[in-house]
Amino acid sequence: MKVRVDPERCQGHTLCSMIAPALFTLDEEDGHSTAIDGEVPAGLESKAAEAIRSCPEQAISVIP
Amino acid sequence: MTTEPVAGDDAERKKNRYHFDRHTPEYRQQFADVTAEMLDKCPVAWSDTYGGHWVAAGHSQVFELARSAEYVSNDHDPARERRGYKGISIPSPDVGFRGGFLEMDPPEQRHYRQLLNPYLSPAAVARWTPLVDEIVRASLNEKIESGRIDFVDDLANIVPAVLTLGMLGIPLKNWDIYVEPIHASVYTSPNSPDIARIQASRIAMRDDMAAQLTGIRANPRPGLINALAHAEINGTVPPDFELLGVIALLMGGGFDTTTALTSRALEWLSEHPDDRQRLSAERDTLLDSATEEFLRYFTPAPGDGRTISADCVIAGQEFKEGERLWLSWAMSNRDPAVFPNPNEVELDRTGNRHHSFGLGIHRCIGSNVARMVFKRMVTAVLDRMPDYVCDPAGAEHYQTIGIIQGMKHLPATFTPGPRIGDGLEETIARMQVLVDEQRLAEPVTARKGAASVKLAGPQRLPGRPAK
Repeated sequence: MKVRVDPERCQGHTLCSMIAPALFTLDEEDGHSTAIDGEVPAGLESKAAEAIRSCPEQAISVIP
Repeated sequence: MTTEPVAGDDAERKKNRYHFDRHTPEYRQQFADVTAEMLDKCPVAWSDTYGGHWVAAGHSQVFELARSAEYVSNDHDPARERRGYKGISIPSPDVGFRGGFLEMDPPEQRHYRQLLNPYLSPAAVARWTPLVDEIVRASLNEKIESGRIDFVDDLANIVPAVLTLGMLGIPLKNWDIYVEPIHASVYTSPNSPDIARIQASRIAMRDDMAAQLTGIRANPRPGLINALAHAEINGTVPPDFELLGVIALLMGGGFDTTTALTSRALEWLSEHPDDRQRLSAERDTLLDSATEEFLRYFTPAPGDGRTISADCVIAGQEFKEGERLWLSWAMSNRDPAVFPNPNEVELDRTGNRHHSFGLGIHRCIGSNVARMVFKRMVTAVLDRMPDYVCDPAGAEHYQTIGIIQGMKHLPATFTPGPRIGDGLEETIARMQVLVDEQRLAEPVTARKGAASVKLAGPQRLPGRPAK
């Protein structure tokens, strides 16, 4: 499982990194989020799912 | 805008109708019922109030509309240089200036955001946490030995104001010039006998604001105002009245909203002592979700106005250019389609896609400030006044919730405790030195790392490590 943040949709609400700090990095200047490269580490799948569910802009998706 | 009887095409287009007046005390009293009815029957409705406007209450409808900046405008154009749109307030106040970038559209709005984001990003805000802890500690010191506090007057009004001034680059000790006019203008009716005094305090505030802008332009001092004083927006230098609108927006956003969230949450925690104890004990895992839940449930800023900028169909509703629209963050935050048991506070709620900071390109620029300050205030109260009980007879809510869902007063009693370190005035003076010496108000691009605070008293409260 991989996750992706759509940079066109993200507005920097920061809930994803609050929920799963290991999976998302926030830009220093505007707080917009980027997902880590590669597979979501084992054990963090449910956190990834919760971040997707909680994003106010619905900017996060799973890459098959 | 027409108020004639709806006929022809409009009868069909406006068939979902609801008499919506959020400025009445009845709306506050009946909020849950009105919300449930609108969500159930007319998630987008036409209301005949204030010259006629649309009201969006449903979560998915608000989501679609708020993120359609190409059809939904924030512009406020009192000089009628463009299309004469009326900005984010319904009814539109009779003022001749715009409320900063919240009443602008891109690209102008984007230029301001890009200029100011580096002062307000999560990384930028985190630098201020040690200073906030000091102001919180000192504010509580003033009341801790007496066993009595007013959480609005003695804590939640002070800390956001001092921090906002620090970020702007205004001397921290000026906080009391700004607190009263901003707080009181939100809850004081234009017919109140108190209005003359509040107008006078507003004038004093505007004078200080203008003097700060002029002073910082002449003698640069780090902070948001410095960025504005030297700004070029869309290739031109904005006039001072435009910049004062931006400063007023940052203050209005920074002060009373966080005050409202904190007082409402502290009142709720007093009424739910088991939840309070759980939140205190499990704060490492619960504080984030509880904060989002208080934001959802209390929605300090309950909504925003917009103007439809082109004929369109959004969320299944046909809109015409020029029509006004109210986006209700507060009502959409109670939509059972997204929030099970929407009228219950659940501190561990998941999937909390609330709209309390707005959505889309106008997401509250101070959202990171609000969360940080709220968490520091609430946890300090839980540590130093763990058995506080609010006095329902003295608790005073705003009579109406059209602008801010806040409180005037929230008195409480608690078991007295010891002061820790110095009082508020001394602390503010020390923090001013720190802000200046450490250039804390620089943008995060120029200055990194948290403030380094030497505590005047014991280094740590007994019991709990700081998070």
